[in-house]
Amino acid sequence: MSLTTRVSLVALSCAFATAAQANTGTLSNPNISAVLDGYYQTGERPMAERTEGFGLGETELAISANIDDSFYGKVTAILESHDGETEINLEEAFIQTLALPGGLSVRGGRFLSDIGYLNNQHKHTDSFTDRPVVYRSFLGNHYFDDGIRLNYVAPTDLYWTMGVEAFAGDKMRAADEHGERDFKTVGVYTAYTKFGGDIGQESSWQLGLSYLRNENGVSYLEEHEEHEEHAAEEHGHDDHGHSHSAAYTGKNMFVADFTFKWAPDGNYKYQNLTLSGEYFRVTDIFAEGMHEEHEEEHEHEEHEEEHHEHEVDFDAYNTGWYLSGVYKFSPSWSAGVRYGQVDLHEAHEDHLDKLKLKETEVMVAYHPSHFSVIRLQYTKQDGVNHFGIEDDNIFTLQYNMTLGAHGAHQF
Amino acid sequence: MRINSKLKAITAAAAIAFSSQAQAELNVFACEPEYASLTKELAPDADIYTATTAMQDPHQVQARPSLIAKMRQADLVVCAGADLEVGWLPMLLMKASNAKVRSTEQGLFYAAEHTMTLDQLDEVDRSMGDVHALGNPHMHFDPYRMVDVANALTAKLAQVDADNAAKYQAALADFKTRWKQAIPKWEAKAEPLKGKKLIAYHTNFRYLFNWLGIDQVADLEPKPGLAPTSSHLASLLKRAEQGDIMAVVIASYQSDRGAKWLGERAKLKVERLPMSIGGNEQSKDLFSLYDSVISQLLEVK
Repeated sequence: MSLTTRVSLVALSCAFATAAQANTGTLSNPNISAVLDGYYQTGERPMAERTEGFGLGETELAISANIDDSFYGKVTAILESHDGETEINLEEAFIQTLALPGGLSVRGGRFLSDIGYLNNQHKHTDSFTDRPVVYRSFLGNHYFDDGIRLNYVAPTDLYWTMGVEAFAGDKMRAADEHGERDFKTVGVYTAYTKFGGDIGQESSWQLGLSYLRNENGVSYLEEHEEHEEHAAEEHGHDDHGHSHSAAYTGKNMFVADFTFKWAPDGNYKYQNLTLSGEYFRVTDIFAEGMHEEHEEEHEHEEHEEEHHEHEVDFDAYNTGWYLSGVYKFSPSWSAGVRYGQVDLHEAHEDHLDKLKLKETEVMVAYHPSHFSVIRLQYTKQDGVNHFGIEDDNIFTLQYNMTLGAHGAHQF
Repeated sequence: MRINSKLKAITAAAAIAFSSQAQAELNVFACEPEYASLTKELAPDADIYTATTAMQDPHQVQARPSLIAKMRQADLVVCAGADLEVGWLPMLLMKASNAKVRSTEQGLFYAAEHTMTLDQLDEVDRSMGDVHALGNPHMHFDPYRMVDVANALTAKLAQVDADNAAKYQAALADFKTRWKQAIPKWEAKAEPLKGKKLIAYHTNFRYLFNWLGIDQVADLEPKPGLAPTSSHLASLLKRAEQGDIMAVVIASYQSDRGAKWLGERAKLKVERLPMSIGGNEQSKDLFSLYDSVISQLLEVK
């Protein structure tokens, strides 16, 4: 494992060096970029990647180009440093078709799922230091995986796109502390659609609806007493938990998102406003223990009885949402507020515990140029103690800078 | 299920929109108004959509949904190139999934690839600001370079719409006749501007000044792409005290804050020039844009 890590690092740096020497001729030549992110933080936000004190965020190395007339390819490697160990993670390694007719495109490999609004955006473009708590709870910060996507863009003046994806879904699996579950190898299927347009010269909007089916997302309740421990370990704050796995899973996830942007005369150089929000609902989060499950289908009555006996509400669902507003009031300064919360359930022996976490965040950012930002963020967090919250008030001072080719940003 | 019925309704709406689109002769997506205008001269029957206005900084445009939708339907995409649109155009191309415009082999056209740009750099370092190795992309204020671009664009039009190739050639001949008649008139009119010195916000008018023999002695931006700073403005004030500066010039989409500050202290006129068609009332096509810009400069002389 460590060998392959080293090899890929070397390969990556070689590619970086040779390509950087080549004289880029046109817009479509290889884009090579690195993102540097560092911070100082006074505490920790549950399930977030940034820890207390000095630290590095995701250091990103990306190479992308049209491979030939028919394919585009991109590699994004993420270097993360946790507890003195440096991990290399491939966040993206995909190819995408360029030449399919009829507005169709296929993407395959490892890539960011197109569900929701923020998920397909790279974290260095975020306006806040961490993803909203709903992303940290349900998508492991952001959901990238190995799989395939088919996307269609309609030939209409109103922007309308839709797509379906299938993923391995390993990081979206429900907890399996005994390693006895028979997980499906293709675990996650998604379907999404987005609409968007302009309102006059100054405003633009986008709406999205997404559905994610997670074949391995249901948590089976068992009568083991260890369950409590497992829950705390897997779901709660955990120093070893810097994986990108989702902390709270379920069989069905529904997402609705909106984005609205405004700039005077549609000129984003001096002032602009971005409002966005997303709502997540995750259902079918718990089911009866695996062995009983087979009976459940045949004997629904019995299931109902058992259900009552355990006092477990199998209709329980998890929700989360956030609203954010960011105003860039000069070419060099922006400020924003974000509120987000999650309402969760966690199995606790034979009943479900309700959990809630609320975050109110304020940030001010200084942008010396288009490629650099220095951000100060304050988070007021309000949650049940299960999350391991030690301090309700967190300050983060962060820099985030890109070097190399400036990639185009999404809406 | 509710989603399903909604989808059906939208599909029906999409089908209607699609059928009405199909009647248009040639769908052109122009990144900037100057290229929409040039395309209009060469393909008067084309259905041309302009992605940005003269009030918007073309360096900083959002790859917004409406632009993806328009690019999805384009037969031809006409842009300045030289990395002017690097912050948004690649994203639009990627998201629009339109094979017809996927590369310059097909229906993608970069004006800068068909003429010599000024200020090409062998080495580019970000400490130099937001500069482009491919040179200054604001070529549309050089009438000779625009002839090069018009020739190449006509060839591209004939490539993507071969049936009407003869029409495009005829339109090009007509445009060049009128354009070449206008050039000496502009040059004669602008004669008094020769050798004048200006301070401008950015290198937007590099080609105009190069053509008319105007000397841009300083930029309001300390580095390309960076907003004017007070220390930099103070140094410009010192420069202006030499007394040889004619005016401070900004483009239609640029903030006048720094320019006003300098103008008031150095007793210089601040002139806002249209960056493109639609940048002021007079600029309705390339001809009137040139007329307007030269007239405005003569007024502040």
